[in-house]
Amino acid sequence: MERPLLLKYLSLRMGTLLSLGLLLTACSKEPGGNAADFDQSYPPSSGGTLIDATAGEPSGLIPMIAGEAAASAVASNIFNSLLKYDKNLELQGELAQSWSVSPDQKTITFKLKPGLKWADGKPLTSADVLFTWKLVTDDNTRTPYGSDYKLVIRAETPDVATFRVSYANPYAPALDSWAGLQILPEHLLKGQDINTTSFRFKPVGSHYYKLEEWKPGERISLVRNPNSTQGPPRIDRLVSRFIPDPAAQFLELLADNIDSMTLNPIQYSRIVPSREDLQKKLALYKELGNNYTYLGFNLKHKPFDDIRVRQAINYAIDKQELIDGVLLGLGEPVSSPYKPGTRWTNPDLSPYPYDPNKAIALMKEAGYTGRDKEGYLLRNGKRLSFDILTNQNKQREMSAVLVQRRLKEIGIDANIRVMEWASFIGRFIKTGDFDVVLLGWGLSLDPDQYSIWHSSQQAPGQFNFIGYNNPRVDKLLEQGRLELNPDKRMKIYHEFASILLADSPIVYLYAGYGLPAIHKRVKGIDNPAPPAGIGYNSYDWYIPPPLRRNEISQ
Amino acid sequence: MIRYLLKRLFWMVPLLVGISLISFLIMHLAPGDITNSEASFNPKASEESRQKLRELYNLDKPIIVQYGLWLKRMVKLDFGTSFASHQKPVFWQTKDAEGNVIKGMIQEALPITLLINVLSLGLIIFAAVPLGVVSAITQNRPPDRAITLFVFIGFAIPGFWLALMLMYWTGVVHDWLPISGIHSLNHDKMSAWGQLWDTLTHLALPVFISGLSGLAGISLFIRNGMLDVLHQDYITTARAKGLSENTVVYRHALRNAMLPLITILGLAIPGLIGGSVIAESIFAIPGMGKLFYDAVLMRDFPVIMGILTIGSALTLLGNLIADIAYAWADPRVRRGVM
Repeated sequence: MERPLLLKYLSLRMGTLLSLGLLLTACSKEPGGNAADFDQSYPPSSGGTLIDATAGEPSGLIPMIAGEAAASAVASNIFNSLLKYDKNLELQGELAQSWSVSPDQKTITFKLKPGLKWADGKPLTSADVLFTWKLVTDDNTRTPYGSDYKLVIRAETPDVATFRVSYANPYAPALDSWAGLQILPEHLLKGQDINTTSFRFKPVGSHYYKLEEWKPGERISLVRNPNSTQGPPRIDRLVSRFIPDPAAQFLELLADNIDSMTLNPIQYSRIVPSREDLQKKLALYKELGNNYTYLGFNLKHKPFDDIRVRQAINYAIDKQELIDGVLLGLGEPVSSPYKPGTRWTNPDLSPYPYDPNKAIALMKEAGYTGRDKEGYLLRNGKRLSFDILTNQNKQREMSAVLVQRRLKEIGIDANIRVMEWASFIGRFIKTGDFDVVLLGWGLSLDPDQYSIWHSSQQAPGQFNFIGYNNPRVDKLLEQGRLELNPDKRMKIYHEFASILLADSPIVYLYAGYGLPAIHKRVKGIDNPAPPAGIGYNSYDWYIPPPLRRNEISQ
Repeated sequence: MIRYLLKRLFWMVPLLVGISLISFLIMHLAPGDITNSEASFNPKASEESRQKLRELYNLDKPIIVQYGLWLKRMVKLDFGTSFASHQKPVFWQTKDAEGNVIKGMIQEALPITLLINVLSLGLIIFAAVPLGVVSAITQNRPPDRAITLFVFIGFAIPGFWLALMLMYWTGVVHDWLPISGIHSLNHDKMSAWGQLWDTLTHLALPVFISGLSGLAGISLFIRNGMLDVLHQDYITTARAKGLSENTVVYRHALRNAMLPLITILGLAIPGLIGGSVIAESIFAIPGMGKLFYDAVLMRDFPVIMGILTIGSALTLLGNLIADIAYAWADPRVRRGVM
């Protein structure tokens, strides 16, 4: 009897204390209590604050130096590039009004938009672009991303609004690279050491937002930049809270302390739909990222040099089962190494179907004719037994288990080894000391994959660590880099994708959806997501005044 | 006394060098370096530029040379700069040419961890001493059984699970406590009392969670110490003198039973700067545990070594302080040492 009473008393006390100290929950409650109807539509309006959560804290806000995803996510609201991708993933000018490629395809000329300004009011000119190019190619700049820009043999600024680069040979990924380089202000960075400058904690950019405050370990808040080169965004302020634990993020979302986060498939398709209160306030979206998960073979190890063994394993794995089991259906099968639905994906290809009989037949052809007592296939009295290596990533671990079971069914003995990332790369990938890996590739939007598949890219630390070597593919990859015409380029990469699928150096498992949940108070989001994802028009999102949080003391 | 102290302090130096050498070697036993981090597994990042980074950080040199370079800096108490967070000073703030202050990573992470640990150590002692005493004087009777059961449940329950349940219950179901972080968004606009209250409510769950597992150990320690003491002859004497039970227990028994606690507290000093990775990640607290864990994952050697060095120096100091405090509290020991 005593305990419950005591608890009740305590909670009453807590309640009063809290209502007395109302200050502390000031911005967490809905206006008008539960009565607000978030489904009602409102006309666009400016103002309000959008709060989201990210797992990592940026190490600095100069993306070429920081390198991590958390830094790019924040910096992409602060800095502009010359070009950007539109909602259909076609290149479009951002700082550039227009660009032209010379007839020999070796020179690109960018014309900047007129009247560009930095957030501090100073003019943004082609000198800033040249300065940024010099920075990223400087040997003292500690960036891993310089190689694309080092191919430029001459960069010049004929006038304040023109920037021209020349390459020794036509380089098709060049345009993509200029969509990736965020332009930095020369007047603030000249003469400074880019690696250590305090500019990385108080950046000045030219995009929609500028840094308002950075509380280390807690949050970054951005506020509208009145000098934005792209016009004003609707939402006044973006706050990113650093919450490393996804479960804690989800609780904050439930308690309405953050407006958006990326869900996992269970939260997305089980928890939210089963709760009416969540459905009332959360809108769910799904968008494909530019990444896929695969099972990769070490082609220098026997028996993976034998195409029949690789194809057999490909037939033995049920990809739909992986999508249904690991992603709860929230993924797409993959048959080209590109984002499904983009022009680079070859529409004529489809994944290897699940066909265990064909797999067994292929294994037999490859010499696995016998079976031992436990039912494993034997060649010359030896079973095919290997480790599937993967890193600590829940989805990859679950996929490995399903793959292991399917392989066992046709008589292949696979073990799973899960490792911490840096050990995995340092000990196994770099040394080439592995048989089979379960990994993912996250790719840029340009179709060039020279560094992953070209036979020259196999040295330790390079990305063709599986040792893929096909002269025809080498040729296509080289051609693809030289061809700037999108239609001709598309043909090249379609052929590349179909050879890759037939060779089966990797088994494409799936491409998973990104699953953002955003509070319904945020309006103006495209649903379903266009190819570029929902974020492409985030400057047009708005929060109608009746749905905003109470921001008491502002 | 002074000589004894000086001698102990002097011997700490070779000990520290030895510890740092072993830590350095073990750290390098793990495969991989900063250029293998997940962010750099990007096809746009070329191997040449990663090799260049390795040279800039001296990672291409033999381990013993790297250790020599590190030691050379440490002699000047220079903890160096972090690899992963691009040249942020590891330990304390530095000023650049224009007078911009860049804070050190340990400097930023330490205060909050220290605060949580001191509070939870306070909570542990505050709760463990009475629990231990009550347990001892009601040995094997229901109160003792109940307390033992309670502290063991507290010890055995997975901290992250309990943390999430409490966060859900106090933060989502009811609006009693904030869920994560250490400040509200509008913290800066609050009055001084509001700010204090805001911080305290944010710290309530983390302190409780990190205190809970320590409670079992300390309270059982007190209980057993008390039981030992209660069977001593001088307690019988005290009772025979006709002293009240309270005086016997609290004046005579407890003070003696508390002696071993001094050692424990001395050993807890280095623990004060080490945060719990799990609690800090779940509650989004930017403390030492998370700093160290991230540094290990990123192979951020200067940060790992910085924290290990400070930790081992504090361990040695904690031992020394415990020895001195013990001698101060217990005359028998004092005669032996000095």
